[in-house]
Amino acid sequence: MSENIDAAIELAPNHKTGLTLANPVMPAAGCFGLGTEYARLVKTEALGAVVVGPVTAGPRRGASPPRIAPIPGGVLLHTGLANPGIGAAIRRYARAWSRSPVPVIVHVAATSPDETASCCHRLASVEAVAGIELGLPDTIDGSVEASGRGLANALNDAIAIIQAAHAAARQPLTVRLPLVSARSLCEAAVQAGASALTIAAPPRGTVWLSGSIEPGNVLPRPMWRESRGRFITGRLYGPSVLPLALRSIRQVAELVSVPLIGCGGIYSAADAQAFLHAGATAVQVSAAVWRDPSCLARIACGLSPTDTLG
Amino acid sequence: MIQTHAPITDIEESGPFVRLVLSAPEIVPHLAPGHFVLADLGDYTRTPLFPAGLEVGPKANLFEVLVLPDHPAATLQLESTIDLIGPLGQGFEVPPTARHLLLVADTAHLPTLLPLTRPRDQVFSGEPGLSIALLLSAVTITGLYPVQLLPPALEVHIATTDGSAGHHGSGLEFFPDLARWADCICVADDPATYLALANVVRDVRIGPPPRLAQALVVPPMACGVGACQGCAVETAHGFKLACIDGPVFDLMELR
Repeated sequence: MSENIDAAIELAPNHKTGLTLANPVMPAAGCFGLGTEYARLVKTEALGAVVVGPVTAGPRRGASPPRIAPIPGGVLLHTGLANPGIGAAIRRYARAWSRSPVPVIVHVAATSPDETASCCHRLASVEAVAGIELGLPDTIDGSVEASGRGLANALNDAIAIIQAAHAAARQPLTVRLPLVSARSLCEAAVQAGASALTIAAPPRGTVWLSGSIEPGNVLPRPMWRESRGRFITGRLYGPSVLPLALRSIRQVAELVSVPLIGCGGIYSAADAQAFLHAGATAVQVSAAVWRDPSCLARIACGLSPTDTLG
Repeated sequence: MIQTHAPITDIEESGPFVRLVLSAPEIVPHLAPGHFVLADLGDYTRTPLFPAGLEVGPKANLFEVLVLPDHPAATLQLESTIDLIGPLGQGFEVPPTARHLLLVADTAHLPTLLPLTRPRDQVFSGEPGLSIALLLSAVTITGLYPVQLLPPALEVHIATTDGSAGHHGSGLEFFPDLARWADCICVADDPATYLALANVVRDVRIGPPPRLAQALVVPPMACGVGACQGCAVETAHGFKLACIDGPVFDLMELR
């Protein structure tokens, strides 16, 4: 990315340490593992940062299989936040993070204010971690879809979590907002301490997994005790998310002035450019990494310095 | 593990399958039975391909895959290229001391086991002298892999649901005797049968050693490197990922 020598961006201009990236492209949380999974397939030095995780305060086994449902135009994934917990993640990966040629941002999946603060406190002492991205619990998204008291409760819950993280974190804090409720939550998130906002977490959906294989059926057969089929609810990935996220980030850009990170349905440099034109300072690439790990560097190379001006 | 473009050097029908030969010199020397590559076939997740035949040796660069006609790879053209990531996964482990190898498969999954039917010195580094038996099941004769395409030294037991070839009924009826005979069992079948197979092994073998029976489990995969946490398989040791801990698991530990 020789063109992008002048493309450095700042995601935390008001934070004492700042969070400066050489270019605006990074993988999204939940898509890149905890740090070493893509070491042999991705030219990390070509990226602006890497986002690893999610991690939670304690270990989580994750959801029962099947966790993946290929769908027309994308994929639905429900992992149940499987991860070894913050302590084990630091023990196993801090060394790898310290060798990263680009800033490492750890995604903390928030559960409660106390557990979130605990994670951020543990990460505060890890020099290799340049930033923390906070993912809000799905319950907040569900409440925001309601109105009145439900919305007020969701806002209060989100503010409590972000404030707890902000108080415990040494590093700049970015907050990934749910797609559906980004507009409702963005101002409160900034007031609670977010240096930047990621717009947005993948939307959630439900598919029916058939219990039988038919020729041409795009849904896989569940392999374990599911002969009659079942529903699976999870996060949706694919190009069709891009228009939804673009709409959301344009709405948020009108309400807040902190740096925004666009995320959702990016498969090409042109997709990334669309987010930058919509007001994003940086972008996160999600499921495209799974299909083609080399796309990260290709997208970074495909953005000109002018694109990064937002 | 690398990402590479593999040209297709040959395509032909092979029994009920379409046989593709791919040239991937950077991957093939590191492929073993049960390993896989993830192929970009135009969908939003990659498709696992298992080697059905391996050119072995230090200059090996070809491997073949067998896919059914409705598989997305079956429509690929000669000399086109496939974007591959691999080799991936933990394959079958046949110990050098094994003398009686039992393979259990239905036709759809048989290609994964075919590399194990080759003479041992072409696949394994252990001593020669391995007897191999194959328990092959199908619904009916038209869905059966042609036995004449299998190595002549292979002892083949066939079972069809309708009795149109071999034993009339389930392959499970053969399995107890063969499981007593075997000192290594490799299974690539409908996972719905795995619980029954494991129960038979428990019945006929007292205290079966670890990895005596190994089974292939291939849930849908997204990344292939353990990043997405999507291909979970439930085992006695909790959820494991098929892409990095499998796709070959200890049959007795599957839940």
